[in-house]
Amino acid sequence: MNERTAIVLSVNGVDHELTVPPRRLLSDALRDDLGLTGTHVGCEHGVCGACTVLIDDRPARSCLTFAIQMEGHAVTTIEAVARDGVLSPLQQAMHEEHGLQCGFCTPGIIMTFEAYLRDNPDPGEEDIRDVLSGNLCRCTGYQNIVAAVKKAAAAMRESRA
Amino acid sequence: MSASSEGPSQIGRPLPRREDRRLLTGAGRFLDDIDIPRALHATFLRSPHAHARILAIDSAAAAAMPGVVTVVTGQDVAQWTTTLKMAPPIEGLMPTEMTTLPIDKVRFQGDLVACVVATDRYLAEDAAERIEVEYEPLGVVADTGAALADGAPLVDESVPGNRLSHQTFSIGDVAARRSEAHAIVEASFSQHRQTHMPIETRGCAAVWDEGREHLTFHVGNQAPHPLRTQLARRLSLSESQVTVVCPDVGGAFGQKIALYREELTVAALARQLKRPVRWREDRMENLQAACHARQAQCRTRASVAADGRILGLELQITEDFGAYCFFPGNYIARVIALILSGPYRITDYAYDIKVALTNKCGVGPMRAPMAITSWVMDGTLDAIARQLGLDPLAVRRANILQPADFPHKMATGEALEDVTPSETLEAVVAAIDYEDFRRRQAEARAAGRYLGLGLCSVVESTTYGSAFYKAAGIPGSGHEAAWVRIEPSGAVNASVGLMGSGQGYETSLAQAVAEGLGVDAGKVRVALGNTDVAPYGMGSRGARGATAGGGALYLCGRKAQDHVLRIAAHMLSLNNAEGLRLAEGRVQRRLSDEWVDTPIGLADVARLAYLDPQALPEGVAPGLDFSLAYDPPPMTYSNSAHACEVELDPETGRIAILRYVVAEDCGAVLNPIVVRGQQQGAIAMGLSGALLEHVFYDEAGQNLSSTLADYLVATACELPNFEILPMHTPNKRTPMGLKGMAEGGVMGAIGALTNAVNDALAPFGVVADRQPLAAPYIRGLLRSRITRATTASDGPVG
Repeated sequence: MNERTAIVLSVNGVDHELTVPPRRLLSDALRDDLGLTGTHVGCEHGVCGACTVLIDDRPARSCLTFAIQMEGHAVTTIEAVARDGVLSPLQQAMHEEHGLQCGFCTPGIIMTFEAYLRDNPDPGEEDIRDVLSGNLCRCTGYQNIVAAVKKAAAAMRESRA
Repeated sequence: MSASSEGPSQIGRPLPRREDRRLLTGAGRFLDDIDIPRALHATFLRSPHAHARILAIDSAAAAAMPGVVTVVTGQDVAQWTTTLKMAPPIEGLMPTEMTTLPIDKVRFQGDLVACVVATDRYLAEDAAERIEVEYEPLGVVADTGAALADGAPLVDESVPGNRLSHQTFSIGDVAARRSEAHAIVEASFSQHRQTHMPIETRGCAAVWDEGREHLTFHVGNQAPHPLRTQLARRLSLSESQVTVVCPDVGGAFGQKIALYREELTVAALARQLKRPVRWREDRMENLQAACHARQAQCRTRASVAADGRILGLELQITEDFGAYCFFPGNYIARVIALILSGPYRITDYAYDIKVALTNKCGVGPMRAPMAITSWVMDGTLDAIARQLGLDPLAVRRANILQPADFPHKMATGEALEDVTPSETLEAVVAAIDYEDFRRRQAEARAAGRYLGLGLCSVVESTTYGSAFYKAAGIPGSGHEAAWVRIEPSGAVNASVGLMGSGQGYETSLAQAVAEGLGVDAGKVRVALGNTDVAPYGMGSRGARGATAGGGALYLCGRKAQDHVLRIAAHMLSLNNAEGLRLAEGRVQRRLSDEWVDTPIGLADVARLAYLDPQALPEGVAPGLDFSLAYDPPPMTYSNSAHACEVELDPETGRIAILRYVVAEDCGAVLNPIVVRGQQQGAIAMGLSGALLEHVFYDEAGQNLSSTLADYLVATACELPNFEILPMHTPNKRTPMGLKGMAEGGVMGAIGALTNAVNDALAPFGVVADRQPLAAPYIRGLLRSRITRATTASDGPVG
């Protein structure tokens, strides 16, 4: 259980050589081995969504994924969302719409919708709420997060047009 | 620059939060994000039994596991820590005492048995599984009925009959009112056990500096100084030997106030091992064993006139306090009884409160500890309406306090003023178009659809002054302390004894300082959560942040401005500071109706105060360093009225929330963006709790709700958008007219939702008097009605 395996973990475009026990969770490898602590752990059983990262550009629970499964895959975390210190349209909209309070669930929500808005540029409120239901937020009541996603979608459509 | 404005310029502005950027980019720093070299990891072995004697613990195999540094039990930790005595001199309350870890017996499933410290968390958990414990199971009391029965097993041998507290009160003559009443209306309200479920679970990291004999304790906590007092006392250290440091906190809601046994154990172990030790609980531990809340059974008996006016009101509360007392056992239920009448005119009133120990996790305050209050009161009004065949709104109008009634003293003596219950009620009734709803409801029923509308008015006790604590007999105080420092460059730093967990304090409290001092809020930094930096304050609880904390900072800012202007007057060769003010960091002088900039600003005054003190006016000390303590009035109240529209699916029992409107009068506000977020969040927590959340124990005391797949919290799909009608009647007795808010939303949501569900259920002749309003419960009510109806051969219902 504690024998270590050498793996290459590709995170945010950088390859990291790690030796990890097979049972080491991706969330722990990101946070403790690579120091990428923006990915938060809220339940370790896949319900709350706080640990959501992108694996090959698709949202996934890093608490339900072993680090050694990531050999050959590309992981993206919250640390890669803002570019050169500029917030993404979604991050900016979350700020403007007060879409976060304690901020613990926020990285997971941003990763979920960074992926979603790439494929769905003009979602309706019901679609947004449906996707958001995979992430628990205990502070906001979700209303401002929904507003922020709508606003970000509009901003992204405008910048593409 | 010139300006003629005299009103507030910094508070009330919708400033976006300055804490957002780090939280949005993954650069926030929560407890587990702090890198502590050589830190060991603690994990706890917990009891599988609800109640059992510990006969023997064999930790030899665990101690021999890879990476394990030590395994300790209750006996070990008792040598390094003192007990927690909860014994305030309150009539009717039994004193309790607990060791840090249980020694002889465990009292609930999830109770602590042993602690493993290892080089990593995985290895610590491996080892915990190898500890062998011999238990002798004992009889279990899993609810208040069992706990209060004759001959019940004792949760705590020092509390006879498990009766932790019993208090009664009576004013006027409720028996006489009963005898002369048109009708007696009885109603029952059963609130289920819930838990705070912050997305970040509990945890801590203890660093012992052997050379300096000093403990640095990292922990997300709402009240860092009272925590430090407890931690130092129980480790037999001086308060000078302990520093509590709070990082970003991922939600708290009342769960992060007390010093928990795990935290004290970790601190003691760091000191013993002379190595940093850290602990992070997992979600199952958080749901089973952190802190629970809310479980209470209330009954009311109202003596009423024919028009629904309440002549006399009697209240009984039976509260389930769990197995351990981290808070005085009477205090939550007492607040419910104290403010029950809230926005209504009630003169003859009596209450009886029993609090029992049970073999379940201990309870504590959860966002609106008194959450059940408004449901009980407005639910009683709905029961009156049902029994007398009156419209629920008409019953409210017959009882609600009118503007001319204020200031008003509740039957319990609580003083209400600057609140607007009739105004908020009428605003919400107009906004949701009550009359039109009744028309739509009738149309829908004709079409086989069941809509319901619920109203709930709230008077929220937000800020407790020291006079309240004194009167209640609870040790502690309601004051808050602040400091403001203007540095030599003119930069402004400030601090207060609160600690945030999502309330946006770094923004809104900067606005309070800025308002008092006369600078732009963006120029003020507020440092929170480090007991070496912050003044000793009472922390964040209730809804005291704005009034107590913001009030203290504002007044301290004012004190600083007065001092700065005294120096400025001297610099301007004026006799005194009359006619001067500081605005956006500039010293301004009043010339007829205009405020006009003088050549000097705050930075000039600061430079002089620090670097050229010889130029200061005579008798003025160098530097610009100010501190102040503020004790709010005994109690400050906000008020609101909630209206909720639901649709019931009689086939499945499912409730859908169609519309939610609230009119809230929370006085002057520091930051309307933050306030709106708190209103939304509070209502969401109330709805989620009333609809879904349920800490569920079986009769053997096994917790059957210890994952998030079992303990259901509302997602974005269950909650509506909230329509908020803001009102801002200032409080005359508080700085800037602040009232505070953030818990009333929970109170109103619980009542409005349940009243709406009962309105939808009315055609079926059943009443939901229990929460959660989960589909199986509602479906069960409907089936029981159909069964009864069929048996009685009075045809189909509905």
